[in-house]
Amino acid sequence: MALAVDAAQSRHLPDFLKHFAERSAHMLRSLWGGVAVFRGRETELYTGARNKSAQGRESREWLFACARELRGEIAVRPLPPEQAAWFAAPQGELPAVLLFVPIKASDGERLGALTLASRNTALSDGEKRLLSALASHAALSLENFRRFSQLERSKRQWVEDIDAISDYIVVHDRSWNIVRTNRSLASHLGVPPAALVGEAMVSLRPIAETGSTLPCPFCMHTQQAREEYVAASTEKIFLVSTSRTPASHDEEARTIHVLKDITDRREAERRYRELFDSIQEGLFFATPDGRFLDVNDAMVRMLGYSSREELLRADVSPHLYPAPESRERFLRALTKQGVLRNYEETLRRKDGSLLHTLQNISGVRDARGRIAQIRGLMLDVTEQKMFQSQLQRERDFNQKILNTTQSMILVLDTAGLISYANRRCYEAGYQEEELIGHRLVDWVDATHRGEFEGALETTAHGHQVENIELPVRRGDGSMGHFSISLSPMRDEQNAVNSVVVVMTDITDAALLQSKLAHSEKMATIGRLVSGVAHEVNNPLAAILGFTDLLLENPAVPDSAREDLKIILQETQRTKDIVQDLLSFARQRPVQRELVQINNVLRQTIKLRSYDFASHGVEVEEDFEPSLAFTLGDAQQLQQVFLNILNNAYDAVQESGQRGHIRISTKQRGESVEVAISDNGTGIVDPQRIFDPFYTTKQVGKGTGLGLSICYGIVRAHGGEIQCWNNGAAPGSTFLVRVPVATDAATNAVAKEAGR
Amino acid sequence: MSTPVLQQSLAPILVIEDEPSVIAFLRAALQRRGYHVEHAASGADGLALLKDGRYAGVISDVRMPGSVNGAEVHRWIQQHRPELAARIILISGDTANSETQSLLQRSGTPCIEKPFRVQHLLQVVERTFGKP
Repeated sequence: MALAVDAAQSRHLPDFLKHFAERSAHMLRSLWGGVAVFRGRETELYTGARNKSAQGRESREWLFACARELRGEIAVRPLPPEQAAWFAAPQGELPAVLLFVPIKASDGERLGALTLASRNTALSDGEKRLLSALASHAALSLENFRRFSQLERSKRQWVEDIDAISDYIVVHDRSWNIVRTNRSLASHLGVPPAALVGEAMVSLRPIAETGSTLPCPFCMHTQQAREEYVAASTEKIFLVSTSRTPASHDEEARTIHVLKDITDRREAERRYRELFDSIQEGLFFATPDGRFLDVNDAMVRMLGYSSREELLRADVSPHLYPAPESRERFLRALTKQGVLRNYEETLRRKDGSLLHTLQNISGVRDARGRIAQIRGLMLDVTEQKMFQSQLQRERDFNQKILNTTQSMILVLDTAGLISYANRRCYEAGYQEEELIGHRLVDWVDATHRGEFEGALETTAHGHQVENIELPVRRGDGSMGHFSISLSPMRDEQNAVNSVVVVMTDITDAALLQSKLAHSEKMATIGRLVSGVAHEVNNPLAAILGFTDLLLENPAVPDSAREDLKIILQETQRTKDIVQDLLSFARQRPVQRELVQINNVLRQTIKLRSYDFASHGVEVEEDFEPSLAFTLGDAQQLQQVFLNILNNAYDAVQESGQRGHIRISTKQRGESVEVAISDNGTGIVDPQRIFDPFYTTKQVGKGTGLGLSICYGIVRAHGGEIQCWNNGAAPGSTFLVRVPVATDAATNAVAKEAGR
Repeated sequence: MSTPVLQQSLAPILVIEDEPSVIAFLRAALQRRGYHVEHAASGADGLALLKDGRYAGVISDVRMPGSVNGAEVHRWIQQHRPELAARIILISGDTANSETQSLLQRSGTPCIEKPFRVQHLLQVVERTFGKP
């Protein structure tokens, strides 16, 4: 068995196999010996040194084929003459056959074949047994060799693997001496790995500060099989993981430390945390049942909690959602969509106040597709919400103002088309379809459109136009007097893009104003007339007086006397005019007595009845039967009515038509109204008819003071007098309005009369 | 024929009037009828004359410039010359004035409105002051 020992000890397989082939050929007195070894599909051939010349490629291929074909125990192949030379002995003797003995592993795997070139074609039993024994020996050797090299390889691989790990690995024994380190650790210390073996663990203390007082800086609790903690040096942070193997019968206890450099990870974590905590948006991780797993500071602040811990500890979900169904709605939406963008939710802070949020949420699903975790980012939009609602309130307020103001407000585009009209416009009778999209100017009286266009133009150039007064057609078709203001409205670029028009119907106000203006004018004229009359009266007194004296003087000749009479006559006329003027300007209180206007009118008509009848003028009376009394001077009132009747008579005479005068009375409110209408020529200028000396009659036919006197009288009665042309029908109408006597006044007059 | 008239009416009529043409006419009309006439151009002058003088009567304009008008003259006479209280005639071109109106109504003093006829003047004068 010297051979086997040989083979086992040899570490060089080719040498062993060559030697083995040579020895086998010698032992069986063969001319040539070789061992074919199968390595996968490859076959390697090992022969003794004597056969070095045997290089024939064909012969080798033939031999390998034979070896691969081998099935049984020993095979004998007749050697073809063309191959024989290759296996010839050094002396030139040619073999007759090749013997093949399979080499099989213990599990039956064919490892190769022992091949011998022999002179004899037949083998003795002894030779066969020898061959089998040789084959077994070769198989054992090959198998051992293979195992051994596998072991070597794997051992080498293991060291390489350990060395390839960047984490520091150190193994020490019970006496705190280093058994092994990997290359990373050694290169960290600047030495080869082997140099550390046998050193004390204490020498590794500079790597990281752990605070351990044991001889090994990385051991903290030696009783534990495993431990893990973080240790830091000035530059690095390590996660130290320790495993301890218990002592067994053939090996003592070992402690393995793995130091993982987590500096970068820690830095990333730190940065992440910093970001997490510093951003203004609330960040959170939560479970689907509403418990927070982690939140950032902004989130804590937003929800009004004092600390992260407090928020994480509390089961805030029921408090957080003022309405539980909104949480259900949120979960349904998240389950369905997985991600929610700009999701609006109203939450409740710790103190109960409401928090309006805008959230971006994603759900992390588990393997079964259910939401396992909720991650979200939350914005506090409470202020925006409040601002928005304030804006809305303001808008509502403005809308209310627009809709409740008594002015019509319209917005025109730069083309003058109406784009907006407030409610007042529609209340005033305009229809939406006749306003919106139409030109406002079309509603302005045709004669004043230029004026409105001009104002619009001015406004379009950025200037305000205030209180222009124009006649405008109302919604019901009638004309009204409107005060109109136009304001430019500008866009962001400060360009005028529309015009706001505010219109107020001032028809009543305008009427009142014109009345006021008229009454003021009349008062001024009254003062003027009074002053003039007084000044004229003095010279008139002298003229009249001296004329009288001259006429009484017998020395004055008759011819001069005639002239003096003319002076007297004209002076008299002047005196009458002045008297009339004073009547108009009269400030003397009228005689106060209870007057039945109907009676005054009847007496007045009687005065002119002959003229009316003889000239075919028809007088129609329409008196309210039980007309209230008024307080005043019947004589003066009669003068008023007579004057109006005279005018009416003149007007119908002038027209040449059949005259018709209608006189009506009625009580309206606290006044008695007398209306006298005729079908005459009408009034040229109703505004001026009460002015003194205004007359349309021929020179000498009237002084132009009659109606002025009427005006003075009616005003002194606390009443008013108006006149207008009848419009469609010919002629004009005078309206006299005097107040009804109050009970107190009636009683006072009655008392005075009885005294 | 004129001498006895002058003798009978030693006391003149005081005419208070600011308008020269009216004074001239009044003087002429009254003298021709036989009255003696003195005149004052203002209310204040009139009151100065009234303090010492003896007069058969006073004819005064209502509206005059200065501080004393016809109403003032009327009041002064009521207080200081009661014998003349019923011997006042007012003349006015301004009867529409409410102040004048109330004075006339209150006192019942006769008033002649300007312009007036000679006959009307003399009637009122004779009725109030008596014949010359």
